[in-house]
Amino acid sequence: MSRVAEKILIVNLTRFGDLLQTSPVIEGLKRSRPGCEITLLAEKSFAEVCEGIPALDRIYRIDLDTLGAELLEGGAKLLDGFNYVRRVIDDLRSEGFSLGLNYSSSKMTAVFMGLLRIGDLRGWTMTEDGFRIIAHPWSRLFASMCLNRRFAVYNLVDYYLRMADIQPWGGGLYYRISDEARAGARRVLREAGWREGEKLVAIQLGASRSARCWPQRSFVELGREISASLGMRVVLIGGRLDRELAARTHLELGGVALNLCGATSIAELGGVLEQCEALITGDTGPMHMAVAMKTPVIALFFGPASAFDTGPYSEGNVVLQSEVACAPCDHNVNCLRPFCREEITAAMVARALRLRLEGRFDDLAREASRWRSVRVFRTTFDRQGFYRCELLGDRPAREEDVVREAYRRMWVAELDGEGELQGAARRLDRSIGSAEAKKKAGGCLWGFGQMVSLAQEGYAQACLLAGEAAKRDPSVLRCEELGERIEAIDNEIAKIAGIVPATAPLWQMFRFGKENLEGEELEPLARATSCLYAELARRASAMARLLGEEKRQFATWTQSGAEERRTGRGREEREAQEWL
Amino acid sequence: MGGVDQGWLDRNLAVLARRLPALANKLAALEVPHTHVVAAAASGEPILIVRGVALENRFDPDAGARAWANEQTERLERFGAQSAIVVGMALGYHIEGLLKRWGGRIVVWEPDLYVIKSAISARDLQRVLERIEIVTEEEARGGEGGFGRALVCPHPPSILAQGERLRRLVGRLQSAPALAGPRLKVLVVSPMYGGSWEMAGYCASALGSLGHDARLLDMSRFWGAFRDIEIFGARKAARGRLDRLFADFLARGALASVEAWEPAVVLAMAQAPLTRQVLAEMGHLGAVRAMWFVEDHRHFDYWRDLAPELDYVFTIQREECGEAFRAVSDAVWHYLPCAADPAVHRPLDLSAEERERYGSDFSFVGAGYRNRRLAFAAFADCDFRIWGSDWEGAEAMRPFLQEGGRRVDTATAVRVFNATKVNLNLHSSTYHDGVDPRGDFVNPRTFEIAACGGFQVVDERKELPPLLEPGREVVTFSSVREMRELGIYYLERPEDRRELAMRARKAVLARHTYRHRMGELLGEILARDFERLASRGRGNTVQEMRPLVDGKLGKFMDRLAPDLPFTLDAVVASLHRREGPLSDEEAIFLFLHQFDELYLKDYRQ
Repeated sequence: MSRVAEKILIVNLTRFGDLLQTSPVIEGLKRSRPGCEITLLAEKSFAEVCEGIPALDRIYRIDLDTLGAELLEGGAKLLDGFNYVRRVIDDLRSEGFSLGLNYSSSKMTAVFMGLLRIGDLRGWTMTEDGFRIIAHPWSRLFASMCLNRRFAVYNLVDYYLRMADIQPWGGGLYYRISDEARAGARRVLREAGWREGEKLVAIQLGASRSARCWPQRSFVELGREISASLGMRVVLIGGRLDRELAARTHLELGGVALNLCGATSIAELGGVLEQCEALITGDTGPMHMAVAMKTPVIALFFGPASAFDTGPYSEGNVVLQSEVACAPCDHNVNCLRPFCREEITAAMVARALRLRLEGRFDDLAREASRWRSVRVFRTTFDRQGFYRCELLGDRPAREEDVVREAYRRMWVAELDGEGELQGAARRLDRSIGSAEAKKKAGGCLWGFGQMVSLAQEGYAQACLLAGEAAKRDPSVLRCEELGERIEAIDNEIAKIAGIVPATAPLWQMFRFGKENLEGEELEPLARATSCLYAELARRASAMARLLGEEKRQFATWTQSGAEERRTGRGREEREAQEWL
Repeated sequence: MGGVDQGWLDRNLAVLARRLPALANKLAALEVPHTHVVAAAASGEPILIVRGVALENRFDPDAGARAWANEQTERLERFGAQSAIVVGMALGYHIEGLLKRWGGRIVVWEPDLYVIKSAISARDLQRVLERIEIVTEEEARGGEGGFGRALVCPHPPSILAQGERLRRLVGRLQSAPALAGPRLKVLVVSPMYGGSWEMAGYCASALGSLGHDARLLDMSRFWGAFRDIEIFGARKAARGRLDRLFADFLARGALASVEAWEPAVVLAMAQAPLTRQVLAEMGHLGAVRAMWFVEDHRHFDYWRDLAPELDYVFTIQREECGEAFRAVSDAVWHYLPCAADPAVHRPLDLSAEERERYGSDFSFVGAGYRNRRLAFAAFADCDFRIWGSDWEGAEAMRPFLQEGGRRVDTATAVRVFNATKVNLNLHSSTYHDGVDPRGDFVNPRTFEIAACGGFQVVDERKELPPLLEPGREVVTFSSVREMRELGIYYLERPEDRRELAMRARKAVLARHTYRHRMGELLGEILARDFERLASRGRGNTVQEMRPLVDGKLGKFMDRLAPDLPFTLDAVVASLHRREGPLSDEEAIFLFLHQFDELYLKDYRQ
């Protein structure tokens, strides 16, 4: 009797680059769950790229363009839109998926996932009665970090992997091009004036937002520099919207450049990048394609782009990020003076390219020490397989670097097993340099300490509330009073997160945890709330220890919190009274 | 009257007798007066002259009718109408023209039976009568259903001849939702506080129930901030400047709402924080600007500044008030008395505890104006309660003052109206000792008590009789002494109280709800600005979309209000009031709404 294959649905309604970043999880699922069948739900207009993702069994294309047009028209067309979505839901339900992974963090997809009624849903989803929840701790962490990008810890791909219970292994991204696409790429290159054997460097001109684009004159200077110093020609690539920019750049560069902007399919773009020695790009879809094609990347990250979040996910790429204090900026801001783009010069990029192509990272680090306006990172993977950006050169660590490093240790220990924490603290000291770390992060310690105290108080009140609720005849007034105290504590915690931004990710995780609480019964809700406070106190105390706080004795707390989590109930009231 | 051809009359009546026997009988017995004369046009064809106004072209009635029919056909086609409601029958030339050009359903609305009798007496209209429907009602009832997507086609000479009556009918018809006329986006701007704040909410909800897309801009949220200006401790002149700056800020906020939401009509309630400049800018954005001034125009004068930038002014006072507005503005002025909201102001089944808490022989709900402070001393020996604010310093009234003289909310007021045996209703005055002998407008309390099924004695008001009939629906007094005497008289006659209260409630429900008022208000606006507003497009209601769906979606739609606009915003807003697990249909609408919010909102704007 044959075994029914496990069916998995991945939802990713974002763009070309994000879909490529889903490729490792597909690869990983095939390894960790042999025989599983994976369906990727993607937006029709971006789904082309999915055809090249190896190991993917099926692509389900959802036509959001047509749906949008129907909704804009309204009336009977709105009904057409409704019926289309119902058909999609019915189709997907009939597949009988047992695991659903939502990699599009939006309320829209949360509702969508809720509609699918899949047993094991991870990421943004919806309760039966319409409340958003973020299922899976790594998904909540990702959502928290999106709101606190200065302390962004992991690469998007690693969040995707951990949400699927896959340990990262540093394998990069995956894309398979057909021989036909490869031949098509060569043909397009030849038609543009390329001679077989001639070495090329690709330059991606545009980016999804203008704040992420390098000025056009810089591309021209860079093209000339590459031609002069490396004797290579440059290939201008980009989408339809970049055509005008490419035409102008091509005009100025003359024979130095080949203009392929808008001339290739997605697969042929992969073929072109495969032919190139390197790609110079902002935070773009082609960057991820180059990673998948094993072509080295020199990434220029401006505006909201953060090397830690979405940097090129493979070993040995170089990311240049402006040193300005406001970088990276928030996704939602509209910068009126994006001077961070001016900080990275064509000469720096050309130099970084040369040293990368020659494999001279030590020399690159020395150069980076001199470039005061820019931080240069080398992409790599740590011992656990997580992506990391290694700061090159002799550069002072920023406060957020220290905090990020502490979070990096803490989250892995917290979300993947708490036994690691003590060791993690020691490792942090070694990796950052404890004296500097303590000095830099000294300002944050107060915040983490406050959070511990407040979380302890919240734990105590929640335990008292659970105790009251468990009585045969609970006092409504007493319950209300305790509820009000808990609310006041939450407000105080939020205040600390505002005053000390380094603590904000903890608060955000705590908030998401509270949002995820379900049920109507007071006693279990109060117990679950007490666990969240215990968790917050444990995490805040771990952060304080990692950042150098030695006087406070948080070990006992950590231990008791862990026990509390395991046993569910026990000494709550006694402990509560002690803390109060 | 001339121009009767007995042959045509009999044949026309025969057709009518088959289709509308009651009307045919009425017409057969009708003698047409001399005000309606059938004469001959230069072309020799008959024309009808009513009170000296020719309803057809005096030279060539066919030519005039052709021009009208061409114009209406174009309108009907552009509007995608299923039915044409032709207001005014005249001798039917224009209807013949329309029948030739347009294949849809034609309903002729003619309240003047003499006109119909003249027409069927003067011309052979058998083919016309076979195809049209005739309505002779004086008033649009607001419940005209079954016309599908209809467009009102007024016949201008008929309206000229019949004047205000027919013009108003056109407006009422155009605003009737069942006619599937334009569904308007109406932004109701409330004041920060005061009696008209509650009315703003009632208006918005009434407009919504009429099928329009109404949104309340609730300025009361800023009331706390406005009050807190006092923490600056500014001197009087500086405080005045700060107040103006604050009000200007709110006005700019309202303008931003108009820019973003693009309402067809902005309805400002009295005291809404709008400025002349902002009203002018709203006008430039294409919004029709209306104000319902639910105050005594003699007490306030801010309207003088705003009126020049208003398109429509509605007031609760007649004559003198209209003249005052006309003197400073070209805005269309219209009398629109107060009303009640039956969803809020309704009879309650009170518990014994509530009756004890809110009930008394006599009570008054309202603020402590001068005349009330003096007049209510007459009830000092009675079981009397006062509910309301601004009674500070009225020492004699202190024993009767409830809840420490706090402003009572609507829910409390409704309980008091229900629980009280005799509700006293004395219109406010800052300079009379008791009853204002020349008081004109009728306050909202009059309608609210009645809608609650409460019994009231109310001071005589000039505008009251046509609204509620004294002696039959309400009891009126002209002096404080009379108020006391009547109060005590009716206190001992519960049956009489019940009868009067029941009749008053019936009258309010039939004629004086906010739904009636909003229908009238939009009727006035549409009677003049129909083309402009209709061109802004129209959405569908749930009721109209319902035939297109079946199964679970159909059942889901059956649970929605039939006149709810069938838009994602409206459907999803209705889901917010629900509890329990979401159905698939609800969740899909939620998904579509989120999709709209994420990707389409900006594009749409």
